[in-house]
Parts: sequence; structure tokens; C-alpha cells
Amino acid sequence: MKKKGTGIGCMWYGIGNTGLPNPAAAFVEVHSDGSVTALVGCADIGQGSSTVMAQIVAETLGVKYEAVNVTAADTGVTPEGGATSASRQTYISGNACCEAAKVAKKILVEVAADAFGVEQDEVEIKNNNVFVKNDESKQMDFLTLMGELKKRGKIALGSGSFNPDTTSLDPVDMHGNPYACYAFATHIVEVEVDTDTGQVDVLKIVAAHDVGQAINAQMVEAQIEGGCAMGIGFAVLEELELEKGAIKNPGFSKYLINTAMDMPEIYPIIVEDPTSTGPFGAKGVGEPALIPVAPAILNAIYDAIGVRFTEVPVTPRKIIEALSEKQN
Amino acid sequence: MGNFNIIGKSVEKKDSLSKVLGTAQFAADIEFENMLYGAVKRSEVPSAILKNVDVSKAKALPGVVSVLTYKDITGGNRIGIIIKDEPVLVDDNIRRIGDALAIVAAETKEIAEEALKLIEVEYEELEPILSIEDALKEESRKVHGKTNVLQEKHLIKGDVDEAFKECDIIVENTYKTNYVAHMFIEPEAGVAKYENGIMSVWCSTQNPHFDRGEVARTLNMPQNKVRVIQAVTGGGFGGKLDISVQCHIALLSYYTGRPVKIVTNREDSMKVSSKRHPIEMKVKTGAKKDGTILAYEAKLTSDTGAYASYGPAVVARAMTHISGPYRIPNVRIDATFVYTNNPMAGAYRGFGVPQAAIAHEGQMDALAEKIGMSPIEIRLKNALRVGDCTPTNQKLNDSIGIVETIEKAVEKSKEVIFNEGEVK
Repeated sequence: MKKKGTGIGCMWYGIGNTGLPNPAAAFVEVHSDGSVTALVGCADIGQGSSTVMAQIVAETLGVKYEAVNVTAADTGVTPEGGATSASRQTYISGNACCEAAKVAKKILVEVAADAFGVEQDEVEIKNNNVFVKNDESKQMDFLTLMGELKKRGKIALGSGSFNPDTTSLDPVDMHGNPYACYAFATHIVEVEVDTDTGQVDVLKIVAAHDVGQAINAQMVEAQIEGGCAMGIGFAVLEELELEKGAIKNPGFSKYLINTAMDMPEIYPIIVEDPTSTGPFGAKGVGEPALIPVAPAILNAIYDAIGVRFTEVPVTPRKIIEALSEKQN
Repeated sequence: MGNFNIIGKSVEKKDSLSKVLGTAQFAADIEFENMLYGAVKRSEVPSAILKNVDVSKAKALPGVVSVLTYKDITGGNRIGIIIKDEPVLVDDNIRRIGDALAIVAAETKEIAEEALKLIEVEYEELEPILSIEDALKEESRKVHGKTNVLQEKHLIKGDVDEAFKECDIIVENTYKTNYVAHMFIEPEAGVAKYENGIMSVWCSTQNPHFDRGEVARTLNMPQNKVRVIQAVTGGGFGGKLDISVQCHIALLSYYTGRPVKIVTNREDSMKVSSKRHPIEMKVKTGAKKDGTILAYEAKLTSDTGAYASYGPAVVARAMTHISGPYRIPNVRIDATFVYTNNPMAGAYRGFGVPQAAIAHEGQMDALAEKIGMSPIEIRLKNALRVGDCTPTNQKLNDSIGIVETIEKAVEKSKEVIFNEGEVK
């Protein structure tokens, strides 16, 4: 018989390393043709950090996204970025990029103010346009501004670094501020349990994530969906067999993971409760995406068949064993 | 929300075109003229004293250019993200299946693989330590140093013992998780090239700056003479934070003066890369009849395997998170993580929090049921809000979106999951 159930799982996740300094840095240079190079230590492992860094630099400078090229994770040319881990790069390298772009922008604004003959705080650079607030007659395009820099022998260059505001944890009771900000999430899932075969099918996942501020909405959704795939595997599928220190199933044929065909309908919801210390309010989502999935599935299995599993993975064998135990 | 031009917009990913067209250069795609292919001889037993590695027959195989053991390491022979406890090439004891014993560079991949079979390893096998119980016995052999305890830590807030006395409802459960493998699509790979005094390493990695430091120490070179360039990387999930091929290819290139490439096969990748820690969590939650949680106690034990890797970070993070996103005035968390001769456990998407969440969310539902509240109601009642303090007594000042995520998820679920009128 097939039985449906629903379950909820919540999580929190401190962004960055636990109670330790974990800085990152960036360099930003605006070239004479208006294109921009950002040198960032942060390794993009497919999640899209270089895209995020380009968006942050472009927004901060007031240029187009396409104008920014990111060179990442090359110790010969990029500054320290720390690990792409702990869901930290959007928050930490993102802040470093923001700082570096602000330093470069200050030079742009100084020159623009001088060229317009106004105060610096009257100058605005947005979407590749340079203009004076409240005076439409005074504006120039970005290339003209770069020409003004050339005339004055100025280079629009900036460096920035950021280290989250944490404290080390007390060795006795672990009190302290281990993280500068936290991400939060809630997943609600629907499962269907086949009581004859023990198969658990995850049908739907509603996944709401507080990311502070999404830098790239579609990439946040992609992270959530990828996290769901891994979370389902963690809960009901992936089973590493260990015998006398040896992994007995070291390959895809025996260690099963979900494929695209196994994915349920996922409804990602982006919640934006910005943090005052993040780049434009952003926190992180890489690891949070995965965390609520397994507990929500376990709670849904309980709702479906009345068995509260406390061990993962809940394989079909374990379901059948538990159901027959329950009957006896 | 702010009035942004680019922030929040789903602009085209910088790497999308190269990946769709297949032009992205992963480490395995990188080719140099005169390049050699490397391979690694690995241990097949979990625990032994290494007596001798005889490479003479392997060296004599036509097409083999270099075979190296620990004796050839010019700098330090211990690497590791937090604790330097892993040998680049074993020099004393074998501590797990998959430990690197010798490395080969040859004209072709096939010759390199063939040479591995000719390497003669002499060792004295030891009874391996394969469980936490065995590791903690006083008389047990020590995997490293003087104790098998990687870390034992305590987090204490308020007084849980007193608080449990005031609780109307107490729920106790033991949760267990298993090892999990990252299964990134691209196995570990890299190419090293030693030229004009600069060691360049292209590799699949999550942290090139860390890799630079490890390669520099292994070769006894200054960091500014080592250049690590992250190749396009096909996923990591924490499994590419540890050193994989970097030090081996750098050593082989240093000795041969030629570019050297290693592409790990899936089996070696799975045996050697870190795994998600299996954690046992004994948890006790206490609440008043109205659902207000007063006390939370958890005891965590885990097997970190043969090397520390990111183990200490997993301990700290699991402990600081295992009470969940809830306001709880009295908390006590104890954790013990031990070394064994099992596979190395390390970073895997969440650093112990995926395990911890299984415990805290299982407890919330069990508690709700015993009290007769809905799972959603009990979460909303206890969820952290601005101004609350965490178990480490950190005051939360802004950006605490847990309540909003619960409300938004429930709202959407009413539309797509829950039957009409039903809110679980």
C-alpha cells in the first residue's frame, strides 16, 4: 500500500568559520575603455561565485555586469580568498569585492567631481552614466570619465579585504560569537511510502531560505535544488558500506546517488532578511540548501507510516523491518 | 529591498557558455608538451608499520621516468587543513586503506599504472582500530601521538540539570548517521610544471591558497615560488578542501623537470577523499506544557578516521548548531571525536550540521506530539528572534529570518502540499 505523509524541517547555519578569523581579499581595476578586472582569491567550484563577485563589483562601481571580468583563484595574481566552504564566499569575498570596488570608485568620483566642478558627494555613477545629482545638464558617459582620469594621470584601482566579526570561543563553556551572521531555512516535504517494497518517494519539497539578499536569484534557486538532491540521498538512499576499514562500494554502480530522473518537484522560496554586515545584505546558501531536507523527510515518513526513524539512511530494508516489527 | 540595477538579477553565469560548449578546461583537459603521467601506490591494509618500499623493479620498467618515496621529500612530510597529521608519502605507519606509499611518473598512463604493480611494499600488519569504543580503551594503540581523542569539548549555558526538573515533558532519543561520499562528478586531478624556478600547479580544488602553502612546505620552497591555479572544477562539496594530487604532482615535476599530470580514478577518489562524519547523538529535550523549551542536552560521538582533516571544525559547528534555530535558556553539549584506522572524515556540505539537524528536528516533532501541539506551532513558539541569545550566549542583532521561512513555507505548502484546511 502507498501511504503519503508530510513533514517539516528547520535549520540555522553560521556563515564562515567557527570562531576563527577567515578573511578574504580582492583587487579591482577600471581600465581606460571602461572595462573592469576583478582579481579574487575565491574558487568558483561551479556554484557561481565569480558571477556573484562580478555582480557585486558592477553594482558598487555603477557599471554594467558584462563590463566586469573576474580572474579567480590563481595564487600568482589573486590575493588570498580562503576556502570555498562554510557558505562563506558570497558574504566574505563578496564584502572584499565591495570594499575594493568602493576604493576604485572613490578615484572615479574624485575625478568626476573635479571635471564637473562640483563636490564629490554630488556625483553619482550608475548604469555606466556619470552625472550630478539635481543637475541634469552635468553628465558624461563612462568613456569620457576614463579620458578625464587619463588626462590627470589617475588609475582607478582598489583593494579590499574582509574578515567577519567573530570572537574565539571560551575553552571552558564555548561562549562567544562564533559567526557574524546566520542563514535560516524551513523545508516542508511530501513523501509517499510503499509499505510493500519499503520504497520512499519524495514527491514535493517546499524550501524557504533566508539568504539576507539574493545576489543572483536563479543561482540561489539552483543551490536550493542541488541541496535537495543531496538531502534526499542523505536521508533515504546513499549507503556507504564499510568493512574492516575498507569501503566496499567505491563507485557509482554500488553507491547510488539521485539522478535528474529521481528529483521531486521543488518550490524554492527566497526570503530576504538582510544582514547589516553583508554585501548588500547577503549571507549564504550553499550548505543551508541541504540541511533541512533529511529531517523533513524523516518527519514525513513518521506522518506516513507512524515509525520515527532516528538513523539515516532509511533504506527500503529498514522500512520493511520497522513495519514488520510494528505489526508484531 | 534596495533599488538595485544588478544585485538580485538572474544575470547569465560567467561560466555557462564554456560549460555548455564544452570548451571549459578541467584539470584533466590540460595538456603540455613532454608531459608525464603520474600514479600513486596506495596501502591496501588499514594499519601497519611500514618496513620498506622497494622501487627498483618499477624504476627499471621502460617508460618509467621517476619513482619517489618519502625519502625523496625535500621539505616537510605532514599536511592537513587544521592539524598537520597526514603524510604526503607514508614514512612510519600506514593508518588507513588508501595511504600514499610511493608515486610514479611515466611516459604514459598505462606504464605508470603498470609500474605500481612492480613496487614492493614490506610492512608489518597491526590490528586496526575500527570503532570508537576500541579507540577510547586506555590500552589501545594510538593512531597518532599519545591519545586517540581528536577533540573532547563542552558547551554549557545555564543549568540543564536544574531546568529539566522544571520541565513537564522530556523527550530522549539517540540519532545516528552514516558515512556519506561527496560523489563530485569530476574526480581529483591536476598538472604540475616546474619552470624557471617556479612551481605551477593547475588543479581541481576549493582552496588554491591553502594548496600553495602545502606544496611550498613539501618542496621547501617559498610561497611566492609556488603558483596554484584552480582549474575549472567539477564540484567539491567539501571533498576538494583536502590535498589530493597537488603535492604528488609537484614532487614528480620537481624531480623530472617535466610537466606531470595525475587524474584520480573514481575508486581511489572515493577511498581517499574525506567522508561526512558518522555521528551518534544522544539528545534530551525538555519543555513546559505550553511548548516552551527550557533545556536541551546532547552528547555527540564520532569517528574522524585516520586523519583530522576538517574534523575539529565539524566538532565545533555540530556543537554550536545542534540545539537548532530555537531560543533555549539551558543547554549542555558534550562532544568526543576520535581517531581510528577507518576512512578519513572531513568537510561535507554542512560541517556536522546536516547530522545535527536530524537530531534537533526529530526532537521538535517528538516533543510536539507528546505535548499535543502541531510541529509548526511548536517551532514558531520557540524560533529565534532578534534580541535572543544562542547557546554560546551570542546576542542576535539582525537578519533572523527563521520565522519568516516557516510562514512562507507553510503558505506555499497550503497551495501545493497540504489538503484543504489541513495544516500539519
